Amino acid sequence: MEESIMNQTIKNKFASADIEIKRTDLSKVIISKERLFKLIAFVGKEYEYKILNAITCCDWIEEEHFALTYIMSTLDRKHTLMIQTMIGRKSATIDTLSLEFPQANIMERDLHEMYGIDFVGHPNLRELSLENWIHTPPLRREFDTLQFVNENLTFREGRDDNVDTKAEAKRLRAIKKAQKKAQDANT
Amino acid sequence: MQTPKHITIFHGPQHPGITGNMSVELDLMGETIQKATTHVGYLHRGFEKLIERRTVIQAFTIVCRICVPEPDPNEANFALAVEELAKMEVPVRAQYIRVLVLELSRLAAQFLWMAGQSGSIGLYAVGQWAIADRDLILDLFEELTGARVYHMYIYPGGVRRDLPEGFLQRVSKLMVYLKKRLKLYDDIFINNASFKNRAIGVGIIDASNALKQGFVGQVLRGCGIKADVRKDAPYLIYDKLEFEIPTQQAGDVYARALVRRAEMDQSIHILHQVIEQMPQGDIMLKMPTHRKFKLPKDDTWVKVESARGEFAYYMAGDGSEKIRRMQVRGPSLVHAYTLLEKLLVGAELSDVALIMNSLGICPPEIER
Amino acid sequence: MKWQIDIEGTLSPLAILGAFFQKPNTIAYPTIKKTTATGYRGFHTNVLADCIGCANCQDVCMNDAIDMIKSDQEYNKKNASQCIPRIDYGRCCWCSLCTDVCPPDSLKLDEEYIGVSKHASDFIYMPKNK
Repeated sequence: MEESIMNQTIKNKFASADIEIKRTDLSKVIISKERLFKLIAFVGKEYEYKILNAITCCDWIEEEHFALTYIMSTLDRKHTLMIQTMIGRKSATIDTLSLEFPQANIMERDLHEMYGIDFVGHPNLRELSLENWIHTPPLRREFDTLQFVNENLTFREGRDDNVDTKAEAKRLRAIKKAQKKAQDANT
Repeated sequence: MQTPKHITIFHGPQHPGITGNMSVELDLMGETIQKATTHVGYLHRGFEKLIERRTVIQAFTIVCRICVPEPDPNEANFALAVEELAKMEVPVRAQYIRVLVLELSRLAAQFLWMAGQSGSIGLYAVGQWAIADRDLILDLFEELTGARVYHMYIYPGGVRRDLPEGFLQRVSKLMVYLKKRLKLYDDIFINNASFKNRAIGVGIIDASNALKQGFVGQVLRGCGIKADVRKDAPYLIYDKLEFEIPTQQAGDVYARALVRRAEMDQSIHILHQVIEQMPQGDIMLKMPTHRKFKLPKDDTWVKVESARGEFAYYMAGDGSEKIRRMQVRGPSLVHAYTLLEKLLVGAELSDVALIMNSLGICPPEIER
Repeated sequence: MKWQIDIEGTLSPLAILGAFFQKPNTIAYPTIKKTTATGYRGFHTNVLADCIGCANCQDVCMNDAIDMIKSDQEYNKKNASQCIPRIDYGRCCWCSLCTDVCPPDSLKLDEEYIGVSKHASDFIYMPKNK
């Protein structure tokens, strides 16, 4: 009940917001990049969504944007709100949240490394787990793992005798057919 | 700063007192730590990237590898997320079996923690006993799932095998035995004067800010906050089961040890209920073949309670048979950076392993 | 941190002495073998009389562990491609998806799981015919 009031308030206050109820304990709001931090502050102040659980990112390469999702929980942890915003893939920048939430520091550092998103105002965007990485940020869709592996790693020897079963079955059928034809011609 | 007493050392990655392949860079003044910096990058296995290339069913085999001591919460999370996106309703019996597996694995993980925690202060006998008792649980897993560590058992749509004949009786028998053994662990480990003296007052966490900073699990429960996903947002059949959330007020290493010890009792209590209530019926929905199983364009956030706290997945489908994005949010990412770096300042060098073990840090969740 | 006198905490660990009167948890391995549970996911076996060479196992294996190869062993008459699977145990993760998708149920995982060899090439394993 309280949830529907909240949804109504969010809709009234943030006209561009798009709200979807996923489960009894999970809702999702889609909002523009400019109003994102206002919404996070608003739900934190009015509805106790004060825990930042995670910042997730999903690469929609066809639509040319990253979907950043800030996952906020209420203080009693009974309800979770996914606040999603889209940022362009080419110049992926967004303000940092690490000043309000200390845990955002490491989450944003992780996303910076994996997607190349620039978090403006972040105090410490150093490399996290990839040392001296010079390729595309690895979790972007254009980074092809198979190609990377083929270029950089070698494979075990002694496995070249793999047969394409479909082609082989076709070839064998053709041979059989030809044999049968020859036999028929003979008789 | 540059006095002869000042020294910088790396604790890990090759160190028996470190919880996995990671390291902590410590600036020491004598024995006291002045600054701690966490370093990861020794085992980047790129699960999240690999999953983008796989179909849903193929990806299922890889998720359990995200956490070695306790793979089942990962499998459960993956299955829950896929089922929610594909709008599948899992049979009740499968849900009960899942809870059975999850609680057994929680118990196994707590025994492993006990081994690590006691080893970190030199009580090796406890460690070896705990590993031996954990092996009894792994024997049950071997029988049920066909593997000891990576079970690959909780499948989207149900579970892969039905319970073998007499399995529940064997679980029940083992629980009675373990309950008896746990009293012995109380004597030689939890109430041991050397553990108490090392652990009380070490690694104290401030309760006022803990929740807002995204800490989970025993870290919260050790400082008096009743946080447990099983109660806060019940998944599977946890709302039908009776159990308590143990808490302690002190917020130090010893409080977290007491919480974990009490949780083992609760797990045994839950297992007895699950065995009693186990219904008959199907264990798996009819699943399409792996090239035909498609997820709609949608995203979701699911979470379960692992032995170390809330374990959550973000999953997005894109209408194809592959998962567009799966992001893991384990307890360790925040614990190993935000918390550990702060907690170690002012602590002594000999307490590093003690504090790390009590936080339950597992590097594979940081470098998914 | 102060050390406090804790008589109960000092005496209670003596319960560990009770372990002298218990049987050991370990087993003397080479003389006593541990029994493996039925249904353990060990090495592969393949009933060649049933295998139809469909390559479903190869298709589902994301680790690329399975090769379909020509073999001089006797094969099923319905085996259109006359190929049978061979597994690279350097890549296999024993997830048993290959056995799940096998239409005639010929590919299976056996309870045997100990393999020792000096040569890395022995990781490429031909499933036993049984």
